[in-house]
Amino acid sequence: MKTLIKISWRNIWRNRSRSVTIISAIILGLMGGVFSASMRLALEQQQFEDTIDNQVSHIQLHHPDFIANPEARYHIGGGVEIASELSKRDDITVASPRTVVDGMIASSNMNSGVTIKGINPEIEARTTGLEDLVTEGTYFTEKGRLPSVIIGQALANKLNSYAGSRLVLTLQDVDGEMVSSSFRVEGLYKLSSKSFEERTVFINASDLNRIIGDNDIVTEIAVVIENPDDYRKVAEILSGLYPNAKVRHWADLQPSLYYSLEVLGEALIWILIIIIMAVSFGLLNTILMSILERVRELGVLLAVGMKRAKVFSMIVAETTIIALIGGIAGLFMSWGMIRFLGNTGVPIPGGEGLEDFGYASVLYPRLETAFYFEIAIVLVIFAILASVYPAWKAIRLQPAEAVRQE
Amino acid sequence: MKTVIKTTNLSKVYSGTAVPVHALKNVNLEFKQGEFTAIVGPSGSGKTTFLNVIGGLDKPTGGHVVIDGVDIATMKESQLFDFRLRHIGFVFQAYNLIPVLTAVENVSFIMLLQNRPKAEMEQRAKEMLEQVGLADKLDVRPGKLSGGQQQRVAVARALASRPDFVLADEPTANLDTESAFNLLDIMARLNREENITLIFSTHDQRVIERARRVITLVDGAVASDEYFDRETSGEENGQTGQVMTATL
Repeated sequence: MKTLIKISWRNIWRNRSRSVTIISAIILGLMGGVFSASMRLALEQQQFEDTIDNQVSHIQLHHPDFIANPEARYHIGGGVEIASELSKRDDITVASPRTVVDGMIASSNMNSGVTIKGINPEIEARTTGLEDLVTEGTYFTEKGRLPSVIIGQALANKLNSYAGSRLVLTLQDVDGEMVSSSFRVEGLYKLSSKSFEERTVFINASDLNRIIGDNDIVTEIAVVIENPDDYRKVAEILSGLYPNAKVRHWADLQPSLYYSLEVLGEALIWILIIIIMAVSFGLLNTILMSILERVRELGVLLAVGMKRAKVFSMIVAETTIIALIGGIAGLFMSWGMIRFLGNTGVPIPGGEGLEDFGYASVLYPRLETAFYFEIAIVLVIFAILASVYPAWKAIRLQPAEAVRQE
Repeated sequence: MKTVIKTTNLSKVYSGTAVPVHALKNVNLEFKQGEFTAIVGPSGSGKTTFLNVIGGLDKPTGGHVVIDGVDIATMKESQLFDFRLRHIGFVFQAYNLIPVLTAVENVSFIMLLQNRPKAEMEQRAKEMLEQVGLADKLDVRPGKLSGGQQQRVAVARALASRPDFVLADEPTANLDTESAFNLLDIMARLNREENITLIFSTHDQRVIERARRVITLVDGAVASDEYFDRETSGEENGQTGQVMTATL
């Protein structure tokens, strides 16, 4: 076995430039594959963080009629208690009761239609991480004369407002009457999605309920679950537990995001497969050329009594060694590349415009260590498969003819 | 003397062509232990086919090849691999060493396939390379050796594992005169010292003049089988010796 490996190793370096070329191809192919996969994960993570984690949450509960008519009168009966119950479940991390209404926000010289979310600041911070998204001002800590509102950076720009500005919110109360109230901008939050920033404002639920005219209104419960992969299962359980509420998971709430992630995931798996197959065909070609150049030598090995199985193993070993060299070097270089780009970020061309659609303008690729091992295993499997045909060609040689070949 | 190889009515017909080619026709020959035999004849006379068939590289279409009491014509391919490995040494026209192995590794290679102990293998390989005058080239790869030196390594490789007999197909065809004589002297000496049966196919007169037995094939059949007393006829000078016997 040792000699077999030794011969294989030396055979690889007989044509140094050819071996270096195929090893470089493997390295570049792997780097390309790893880069694609890491960008996909970064995009997925960014989408999740911005849309699911920071906005929608994994599951939402509403009054069934609220979906078509988002008005305060379609609220969830006993919403605060339900949210409290949900928070105590083992499969749920936190459940945030909200009062969500549509309204207008106005500064001294501009106004805009917005969705007003009345929240419990402490629970909301744990649900969407809103507190951490505040980049200017503070998060519901001030006890001033005017109640606080947290608005998006994009809306602040549009209204020409800033932390400390006074704004007026206008909305319908439970009787359908228009009511207005002044708020002071306590903080500005920042998300990748400019459209969310422009149309969503947060105020204390108690302030909103006071304006609406009912102290115990919950129109929406946002739920964060322990295992994000179980969102369908948990949503089904909650549907059974609360038959009067409309329970929807994030894939229902954000179908376009769900399908784009699905398509993206599928596409990138195919890109990875194509890259690995291209590398494998390159390997196959290299080994096949090497076999055709060594017909006489292989004939001698067979003639002197080296068993076909050993000759086969030698060819497979050559291919596997090339794949391992390229694979290990490629994975190390990919790891370095991802570490570097994970710190510096990868700007997306035209990223500024993408922010309006909820996409980040800079992605920070990252990969789990397990992925490197997985891709290495897949590469070695494909390399072994690629070696089968040349190895089979080698062992089909007739020694008597092969030794006489020029 | 012990019979090493015996062929009986050995035939080989290549039927893949429009007209079947009878490469061997009822060849009946015996080779004794320690014989130094040249198989001669014009191109297409069946020399290489004969060596391939008695070497287990090709199957006869008729007859028997009995080596050490075993008819290899009836062996399966997998058995033939093992048989070749343990009983036959090969020397090829184009040296055919393994280019990525050094001289000593090349000589050890067959013993390695036979799973011989490492120490024995190394000692024997070095001893053989010394015998062929390449003691100073142990760690040199074939690419750095001359044609004559490569063929001497090939001879050392073929004899190192002490096979029952060695088949050499045109071993001097690619060598200049000096290298060819040098090689033949070495082979003749090893034949005597190791008592290994050597069978050459050749149309090189230099080889024929050294052989103690010369078998001539014409159109696949034995045309003559002559023995010469080289011991008394100035072998080292490459002169033709006295014809002892002739059989047809």
